[in-house]
Amino acid sequence: MYLLEHDAKELLAQHGIPVPPGCLIGADETIHRLALPPGPWIVKGQIGAGGRGKAGLVRKAATLQDITDHANAILGNTVKGRRVNAIRVERQVEAAEETYLAFLIDPAAGGVRVIMSAQGGVDIENLSPALVHSEVAPPERAALEACVQRLAAAIPGTKGRALRDAGERLTQVFLGQEALLLEINPLFVKTDASWIAGDAKMITDDNALVRQPALQELLGQRAAAYPETVLKLKHGFDYVVVDPDGEIGLLTTGAGLSMMLIDELRALGLKPYNFLDVRTGGLRGETTRLVQVLRWIAEGHKVRVLLINIFAGITDLGEFSRLLIAALAKVPQLRVPVVARLVGNGLPAAREVLQTAGVALHTDLGSALAEVRKHLATGNGLWEKSHNSSP
Amino acid sequence: MNINPRIDRTTPVIVQGISGRAGTLHSRLMQEYGTRIVGGVSPKTGTNDINGIPVFASCAEAVRATGATASVTLVGALQLLGAMEEAVAAGIKYIVTPTEGMPVHDALRARRLVREAGVIWVGASTPGMAVPGAAKLGFLPDDSLSPGPLGLMSKSGTLSYEAGYRLTQRGIGQSVWIGVGGDPVKGLSYADLVPFFAADAQTGALLIIGEIGGHDEEEFAAALRAQRFQKPVFALIAGRTAPEGIAMGHAGALTYGDHGTYAAKHAALADAGAQVFASLDAMVEGICAHFTVQSR
Repeated sequence: MYLLEHDAKELLAQHGIPVPPGCLIGADETIHRLALPPGPWIVKGQIGAGGRGKAGLVRKAATLQDITDHANAILGNTVKGRRVNAIRVERQVEAAEETYLAFLIDPAAGGVRVIMSAQGGVDIENLSPALVHSEVAPPERAALEACVQRLAAAIPGTKGRALRDAGERLTQVFLGQEALLLEINPLFVKTDASWIAGDAKMITDDNALVRQPALQELLGQRAAAYPETVLKLKHGFDYVVVDPDGEIGLLTTGAGLSMMLIDELRALGLKPYNFLDVRTGGLRGETTRLVQVLRWIAEGHKVRVLLINIFAGITDLGEFSRLLIAALAKVPQLRVPVVARLVGNGLPAAREVLQTAGVALHTDLGSALAEVRKHLATGNGLWEKSHNSSP
Repeated sequence: MNINPRIDRTTPVIVQGISGRAGTLHSRLMQEYGTRIVGGVSPKTGTNDINGIPVFASCAEAVRATGATASVTLVGALQLLGAMEEAVAAGIKYIVTPTEGMPVHDALRARRLVREAGVIWVGASTPGMAVPGAAKLGFLPDDSLSPGPLGLMSKSGTLSYEAGYRLTQRGIGQSVWIGVGGDPVKGLSYADLVPFFAADAQTGALLIIGEIGGHDEEEFAAALRAQRFQKPVFALIAGRTAPEGIAMGHAGALTYGDHGTYAAKHAALADAGAQVFASLDAMVEGICAHFTVQSR
């Protein structure tokens, strides 16, 4: 998961990494003078995406009024599809130089890439390659520390000393938390070679979450900020609302096929509501997971049709269809027509089950999409009606 | 390392975790397809055989008794690294790991392990691989498999099933199908397999099914150029409209900033001479048109 800057900094602080004092303020909260660190401040909108400065989400404040004004301007904005629900107000770091330090998984090289530069505060891609020092090491403490030391040795003076110290300490956080990316930019260095993390971009591995207590605790406390990760941890499958105003609820399996379907729907000018990799193999003969998914889709206030797209390699479509119809009956609030496109193992049985329940079955995606469009145009043919009329 | 991922009907295969739900089911399905499953590994004592396949307490024992050279590893995500270490130590030379959810730091360690030992690793988060008409290691559905001229590599399972199925319906099958898997750190990447597909006489063209996140597609494009790959390359990339900063189902399918974006992948592939399609329909028609023209 892509940690919000505030959460990344709190986590770093727990591990003894110096960060500027700051506090998190949510959209509905009033700003209390006493809760703030000493000024002057910097007000930073919290979203899990880069480019916040360019999007106007990072602003300097000298007075309480400035903070209030910036908060009003920033909170509630949507940047890169993510709503800004909180700001971090922190003390500005003064009289320091900006450097750069990052650790990231480099899949092609098969190791951890360490990147260091005596210049920071800008995109690392925009720096001259001569200023960027980088090397790959295995994911082991001794090897990474040696790598940090070699890179820091190329940077003279206090900056080199500070980067060496920061690198050694962040190595432990990167390995300990099983991070995929840990970027400190800028890493402020003062004249006495002390340093402080000006920004913190951290992506952690959801697959390792089960053995990472500190991250689990963070998720427990800040669940609302990480709905996708919480959901995956709790339910064992992936669900993402890709457009709160979407009109087509998707019941799909397979990450690649589901992403492709969303792309193709959008290319046709249609508005999918959600991404879903339901993992039909994980249903285990129970409706629980399907009921959960249908309830979430029913929360989409503009959802007007449910499109099911399943390619069954191993899954038995007859069994899946029986579960689907039973699940639909348990979610009466989803009052929309249902279009099913199924291919693969057990199709004849699926056809019988769906026909009895009054759900049209397509094997061709094109014809399923034609029916989806028809429903969107007319708004007729509620599944509930046809279901109630069936025996 | 010269990688040859081909297997045939004689390749002796064991299934690690054979007593689990997936292990029992898929050892049978692989056997029915033609794969020579010679043994299973399960630490549970007292099981002599499953589906008529002899079960051993350890990889070492299974390899000693059967001479297996390949393993399909069907164990939990947190047990995967340990199972792979056991397989490599036992002398297995080809490991396919369908398990989803392997921690990335574990995958880095596994990658070093197999490279140092000269072992082929397909996965993790892979539906497996197949030489259609001969044998398969993993879950690839029979309906999507047919022998033919197309080398196929994919990060996604289902999207490749759909592509393979539609092309099979149109009479175009595959030479070798490798599900490289959706994890960021993996055993074999597209780029690793370029030399094999260039040399493979049965492969007339290449289809890669990619998705956002990571740089695998870009590295594949660079390998095509560097090695002056001569065969036609077709590509489909999922996730063009996915939001930044959220892993879309696959751990690897995560974009941040300019990293891993559809635009970057599309540009790199197109520059390397690949034909990149915007939809499944366009891909099927494009590939059919290519082979129709060629067969005239």
